[in-house]
Amino acid sequence: MLQVENLRAGYGASEVLVGASLHVKQGMIVALIGANGAGKTTTMRAISGMIKPTQGTVLLNGKAVQGMSASQIARLGLAHAPEGRKVFGPLSVEDNLLLGAYHRLPGFLGFHAMAAPDLEKIYNLFPRLRERRLQAAGTLSGGEQQMLAIGRALMADPKVILLDEPSMGLAPVIVQEVFGILRRLKEQGITLLLVEQFAKSALEVADYAYVMDHGRIAVEGTPAELHRNEKVIAAYLG
Amino acid sequence: MNSLIIAQMAVSGALMGLVYALIAYGFQLTFATSKSINFGQGELVMLSAFFSLTLLNLGAPYWLMIPGGLLFGVVMGLVVERACVRLTLEQKSEGWILLTIIFGLLGFSAAENIWGRDDRPFPSPISSDALHILGINVTPVEISVAIGVFAVMGVIELFKRKTLLGKAFEAVSADRDAAELMGISATHTIMLSYGLSGMVAAMAGILISPITTVGPTMASALILKAFSVAVVAGLDSGFGVVVIGILIGVLESLTSYYLGSGWRETPGLLLLILALAIRPNGVFGKVSIRKV
Ligand SMILES: Nc1ncnc2c1ncn2[C@@H]1O[C@H](COP(=O)(O)OP(=O)(O)OP(=O)(O)O)[C@@H](O)[C@H]1O
Ligand SMILES: [Mg+2]
Repeated sequence: MLQVENLRAGYGASEVLVGASLHVKQGMIVALIGANGAGKTTTMRAISGMIKPTQGTVLLNGKAVQGMSASQIARLGLAHAPEGRKVFGPLSVEDNLLLGAYHRLPGFLGFHAMAAPDLEKIYNLFPRLRERRLQAAGTLSGGEQQMLAIGRALMADPKVILLDEPSMGLAPVIVQEVFGILRRLKEQGITLLLVEQFAKSALEVADYAYVMDHGRIAVEGTPAELHRNEKVIAAYLG
Repeated sequence: MNSLIIAQMAVSGALMGLVYALIAYGFQLTFATSKSINFGQGELVMLSAFFSLTLLNLGAPYWLMIPGGLLFGVVMGLVVERACVRLTLEQKSEGWILLTIIFGLLGFSAAENIWGRDDRPFPSPISSDALHILGINVTPVEISVAIGVFAVMGVIELFKRKTLLGKAFEAVSADRDAAELMGISATHTIMLSYGLSGMVAAMAGILISPITTVGPTMASALILKAFSVAVVAGLDSGFGVVVIGILIGVLESLTSYYLGSGWRETPGLLLLILALAIRPNGVFGKVSIRKV
């Protein structure tokens, strides 16, 4: 579903990714772990078009999308819930969710009725968002904002979701809640690339994992294989 | 008797103030999406007024001239975005400041060459015979200014709140990168904001011209006050520009009555200086104009 080959990207003159390759098959959760500054967020940005890769290919459902703008790639079915959540602070929770489905709803009228069944699904998954549907997103707690960021990505009904550090800045209980949601979504068959500091939790939900180091993939394998790899254990799972 | 004169001055001042508010609102629209404004907006008002006058002179009925003039404003707004703003924003430069000023200068010369230097009357089917309301004289033309300003701002605010495209507009204002990730094209949204801003400027020209006449110099008279309103009110509150616009309009009208019309620019300028010194975010604003 998502195939990344030999991706190179960076910021201005500084090159961060020096040839990263990874695959996410349909219906799979794939974890991308690695130390701070390894280039995980940069990988996601280069895939979703927030920065332009200087080399390499990104295939989304077989279609080459590298070099397209972020909005074009999003319309082709990639939803990226970025690092730091980036909800639209002044807009209501519900408006944030509706904007998640922007590219498949009519622009003027009737969009609310058309989105109602999907909104309902999101509210069932995150009951707290329903309670706060008219509240400004910027006034939500960190955990609620993360739920909103995930819900907004789901609203796109995407082929692939990129989720960057959903646990960032959250209390351990809330982190567990977020991982519980990811497990439920996995049962429903979503396709997800997950970046996570909590490597252990990430490997528990993932079907496959990549370990990134200095802008390239250092190790890859199923969670069971990584659990047998001493270097990985020492660096990330110790 | 004296208080009646003051009330009279206040009412006509307030109506002028609404036009300043409308132009300032045009600044807010583009600042929201792109953190840029058109420094040649006054010339855009003037060019749209001349264009509308030409439509009338060619025999277009008044009610057809309005959409024609507004369309001209939209096109000019899009020209400004394409020619003066987009490339410089892509380079992350502030070159748009210089380029939009140049647009204004070119617009001024073009108007002088095409339509001449003289101020011209702008006919309107709406009567300018004063009505007496509570002892104050108000003309239907003046009332049409108030109705026009609130209608345009009201329609745009409704658009922003009630349609998905409008919410996308707000999303780009709040976080451009995140909006792109939703499939919203920031480029198209910025174009939309410049188109709307041009339309608002054209509306201001069409509304004010029957009262002030049309001439190449009308731009500079309007733009200084519109800037004062935008800076004093802040660049993110539509309600704020209406309040401050009325305030500056009233002060200006009273000043020119008591001190002579040579002093009429003073209150706007004083408030502008005060605002920049004390509250650069504007009385109603969260965003600093210094970010421009
Ligand atoms: N906007 C930017 N401009 C310049 N350099 C950047 C930018 N963002 C990240 N970098 C640099 O790119 C490198 C990789 O950063 P990246 O954010 O991809 O790491 P990460 O693996 O996501 O780390 P973390 O786990 O801390 O989120 C770092 O050295 C960082 O300093
Ligand atoms: Mg990161």
